[in-house]
Amino acid sequence: MRIFIQQVVNGLTTGSVYALIALGYTMVYGIIELINFAHGDIYMVGAYGGLIALTLLGTVRSALHLSGIGMLITGITAGMLLSAAYGFTVEKFAYKPLRQSARLSLLITALGVSIFLQNYVMIGQGASDKTYVSLRVLNSNFIVDGVAMTANQIIIFTVAMAIMLALDLFVNKTMTGRAMKAASQDSVAAQLVGININTVISLTFIIGSGLAGIAGVLVGFYYGIVNFSIGYLVGIKAFTAAVLGGIGDIRGAMVGGLVLGLLESLGAAYISSDYKDAFAFIILILLLLIKPSGLFGSRHS
Amino acid sequence: MTGDQSVFGRDERRGVNLAVQEWNQNGGVLGNKIEVIIEDDQHDPRQSVAIANRLASDGVAGVIGHFNSNCSIPASAVYNRAGIPMISHGSTNPQLTERGFNNVFRVCGRDDQQGKVAADFACSTLKASRIAIIQDKTTYGQGLADEFRRQLGENCKVVYYGTIIQGDKDFRAVLTNVKAKKPDLIYYGGVYPEGGLLVKQARQLGIKAVFMSGDGILGPEFITIAGSAANGIYATFGPDINNVKTAKDFIEIYEKRYGEPGPYSIYSYVAANILLDAIKDSGTTNSGQVIHYLHTHIFTTAIGTIQFDSKGDVIHSPYVVWQVKNGQFVQL
Repeated sequence: MRIFIQQVVNGLTTGSVYALIALGYTMVYGIIELINFAHGDIYMVGAYGGLIALTLLGTVRSALHLSGIGMLITGITAGMLLSAAYGFTVEKFAYKPLRQSARLSLLITALGVSIFLQNYVMIGQGASDKTYVSLRVLNSNFIVDGVAMTANQIIIFTVAMAIMLALDLFVNKTMTGRAMKAASQDSVAAQLVGININTVISLTFIIGSGLAGIAGVLVGFYYGIVNFSIGYLVGIKAFTAAVLGGIGDIRGAMVGGLVLGLLESLGAAYISSDYKDAFAFIILILLLLIKPSGLFGSRHS
Repeated sequence: MTGDQSVFGRDERRGVNLAVQEWNQNGGVLGNKIEVIIEDDQHDPRQSVAIANRLASDGVAGVIGHFNSNCSIPASAVYNRAGIPMISHGSTNPQLTERGFNNVFRVCGRDDQQGKVAADFACSTLKASRIAIIQDKTTYGQGLADEFRRQLGENCKVVYYGTIIQGDKDFRAVLTNVKAKKPDLIYYGGVYPEGGLLVKQARQLGIKAVFMSGDGILGPEFITIAGSAANGIYATFGPDINNVKTAKDFIEIYEKRYGEPGPYSIYSYVAANILLDAIKDSGTTNSGQVIHYLHTHIFTTAIGTIQFDSKGDVIHSPYVVWQVKNGQFVQL
C-alpha cells in the first residue's frame, strides 16, 4: 500500500506537468485546429527563461535578501513571460500568414518551428545540460509513514491545480474567456458578433505558452537540469494527454494529464519499467478505439 | 559533439586536438601535416554507422573513437570492411573486441574487468548482501550491469534488477520499487546524466543504500547534477592521472589551454598519439601495416606503457575504485 501511495505521489507530480502543457495544445487546437508541435519547445524555452533569470538573480541574491520563495516566484514569472512572448511571436510570424492555407502546411510549419527553437537554444545556450539552482525550501523532504514527498512535488501539484482552476474560471466566467470559447466553437459566427479573432488567437497562444513556461520552470527545479531537447518527449506526452482528455476540451486536458502521469507511474511500477513511455501510448490507442473523441471529447472534434 | 553527454565529446575532442597540434608543431607525420576530421555521432548507433561510412569513403588513416559502446560496435564493422584502424578511448563493452576484427583497439579497459573490480569491492570490502541493479538498456550500461551481476560472490544476493530509459528524467517509479526491496547497495550501469538524477531522486525518496557505478558517471557533471546526494558514492575507473608521473606534461599543457581535463581527455590524447606513433614508425599510412604495427609493438604513453593483445585490448586491467568526497571524485 505504501508503495502504491508513493507511486501515486510520483505520478500526480508528473501528471500535473503534463496537464499544464496539455492545456496549451488543447486551447490552440480548439481555436485554430492546429496541433502545435512547437509547444513542447515553448515549454523548454520557459525552462531556460527561468534558468537565466535565476542565474542573474543568484549573483545579487544576498544583496537583495531574497528568500527561496522569492527566487521561485521570480523564476516562474520569468519563464512564463518568456514563453508567452515566444508563443505570441511564433503565432504572429509562423502561423498567422498561413491561416488560410491548407491545414497540412500549418502542421509542417509547426514542426519546423519546433526544430528551429531547439537548435536556436542549442546554439545560444550550449548543448550540455544546465543546472538549476537548488533552493532549500524546495528540497525539504517529508517522509510520512514511509511515503516520501518533497516540497517541490507539493508546489508543482498545488500550482498546477490553482492555475487550472483559475483558467477554468477565466474561460467560463469572464467576457474575454467567453470570447475565446465562442471563437473555438465557430470562428466565423464569433467574428459576426464582433469578436476580434486576431486578439483571441494571440491571447490563446499567450496563455497556453505562459502555462507551458510555468511548467518548464517547475520541472527545472524538480529535476535540477534542463537541456535544449527536453521539450520533445514531454511535448508528445502532453499532446497525448490532450487527446486522451478530448482535444479542444480544457477540463479534458487537465484530467488527461493527471491520468497519464498516474498510468505511467503505476505501469512502470507494477508492469515493467522497460515500457514506461509506452504505457501512455497503449492507453491512448485503447481509449481511441473505444471512444474516439477522448474522455471529454466534444461533438465536432 | 551534441546530445546530453556532450561534455564527454568536448573532452575527447580537446584531447585529440592537443595531440595533433603537438605533432604538427614537430612537422607532422611522414612529412605531412595531420588533419583532424571531427564527426558527431550524438551517441546514436545509426549516426555512428553513417559517420563511419563517410569517414571510410574519405579515406582517413585511422579513427579515434567512438565513445559509446553502442556506437563503436556497429561502426567498427564498417571500419573493418574498409581496413581502417580504429582506437576507441572509452568504449568498454567486451563485445567490441570479441568479434575477431583485427583493426579494432581500445586504450581503456573492458567491462568484464570493471564489473569484477566493482563486484569484489561491493561484496568483500563493503560487505553488501542485498544488491539492487539498475541499468539504462544501452550496450554499455546493460553490459556493465550484467558483468557486475555475474561476478558477484555467493553472499551477495541481487534483490532487484530493473531498467531505466536513457534520456528520461524521472526515475521515481523504479526507485520506489527498489526501496521496497530494502537493498544495502544499488549498482547502476549507465552514464552521468541519468546517474546523477537517479542518485538524487533515490535520496529524496529516503533510500539510504550505498550507490555504486562505473566509468560512465565519472566527472564533475555527475556531481553538479546530483548535488549533495553525490557524496559517498563509488565508481570504478582507471587510476587518477594526477598520481601518474608520465601524465604530468599532459595535465600541465591541457590545463593551460582548456582547464581541468575530463576523465577521458587523456585517453583520447593517448589514442591519437598511439595511432600517429604507429604511422610514423611503420613509415606508411597503409592501414594493413599500421594495424600490424599496433598489434606487435609496445607504446610509451602519458598513462604508461600500453601493449595490445591479439584482440586489441590493453594487456593490463586499469580499474580502481573512486569515491565522491566533499563534492569531488577521489581515488581510494
